[in-house]
Amino acid sequence: MNWLRFISLATVVLLLVPIVILLYYGLGPFRTPAGYTLDVFRSIELSLFSSGLAAAVDIVMFTPLAYYLARDKDPLAEALVDIPVGIPHPIIGVALLILDSPLTPTGRFLSSLGINFFNTILGLVVALVIMSAPIYVKSMQPYFESRDSSAEDFAMGLGASRTKTLFSVVLPDSLKGVASASLIAMSRALGEFGSISIIAFYVLQYPFYGVSPASVTIFQLFSGAVPGGLNAAVTASSAMILVALPITLIGHFIRRR
Amino acid sequence: MGQFSLSAELQDSGFICLAGRNGSGKTTLLRAIAGLLPVDDGYIRIDGVDVTRLPAEKRGAVMVTSNSFFPHLDVDSHITWGARLKRIKPDEGKVSKVKAELGIDFGGPVRNLSLGMRVRVALATALIASPKMILADEAFSNLHERDDFIASYRRLVCAAGVDLIFSTHDETDGRLAEHLYVIDNGTTIRQ
Repeated sequence: MNWLRFISLATVVLLLVPIVILLYYGLGPFRTPAGYTLDVFRSIELSLFSSGLAAAVDIVMFTPLAYYLARDKDPLAEALVDIPVGIPHPIIGVALLILDSPLTPTGRFLSSLGINFFNTILGLVVALVIMSAPIYVKSMQPYFESRDSSAEDFAMGLGASRTKTLFSVVLPDSLKGVASASLIAMSRALGEFGSISIIAFYVLQYPFYGVSPASVTIFQLFSGAVPGGLNAAVTASSAMILVALPITLIGHFIRRR
Repeated sequence: MGQFSLSAELQDSGFICLAGRNGSGKTTLLRAIAGLLPVDDGYIRIDGVDVTRLPAEKRGAVMVTSNSFFPHLDVDSHITWGARLKRIKPDEGKVSKVKAELGIDFGGPVRNLSLGMRVRVALATALIASPKMILADEAFSNLHERDDFIASYRRLVCAAGVDLIFSTHDETDGRLAEHLYVIDNGTTIRQ
């Protein structure tokens, strides 16, 4: 018997047990219409929209960083990237609130530019970018590292700068990696609660006026802040898992191919 | 350079063969010339210009290996990529001549080509970009009708006034070059 395989698969099953049980109760005995109301679906819609946008921002802003870390081995930058996920997530929410507060010079400056994070789509997306970008970078970095560098060396020999090499040579040949890493980052953003429950408990902007992100809505159902109770929270959680799971799985599947 | 000590001296021009066994330091030397590896001591001059501290993209020395290709481009865009990068309008006559001499009578995306075809395209790309020097790291090794190809490439490279060093593990390849250097354990080079 291959004990390593047995132990490994057993630990994976252990990780998944709570989710499987939740899905069973949410789609079975505990299922209630209060868990799939229009409000719940609007929440999931907002979460998908904001997480997708955050993943797009991750691609545009953080691909160069992932490439830099892969090729230049900068331990300091590598350690700094991990900071946002290494501290309690609500702290990021509080930090954004302070950054944006009218009581601070930074907040007054942002306000003068018309930038407001509190209960806005922008605030929600910024928090999700901060929480998902490290996941994107740590997913893209090994992808770049595993690439043979001959084409890049060739491009630089032909006179291309590092940046030109990244955008003209590496990226067109890394679409699978980018798709995979961004989907994994998006699924991380979909699961975010701590930071967004502070900076964007609900959004007060069209087209999501009065809508909370899915994780916040589930918490509200669970805590009794909105009618529905535990059964509704479990049902809504199952719906959310059914939406998020394919994104995570597709992200991994693309890379394995 | 970590555990590997390379002490090489090579002052020459033209079509040069660098022969040595696996692990002798051929690739390390070529990478150092190309600016892809920092050197601890000494200098690298190309066309009389000290490039020791210059980044790879400013040396005018292009390294070609069997993996030096851009899979997403088609053959024609690939061949003119380096020239277009330098905003040199590729001379169509020159491109056609190079393609004909190197037996590039195929097209389509480079990712669909065989290994040998890709190397031909890469060597053509390097030449059309008019570098000062081409460093072919075992790039000729797996080519069909290799000796004839090297002779054709040598004619083109010499006509363009470009220096070339090609590495090989076979010392007898020296007959295909103007000069032969042998590298052993990264410490000696003899002509």
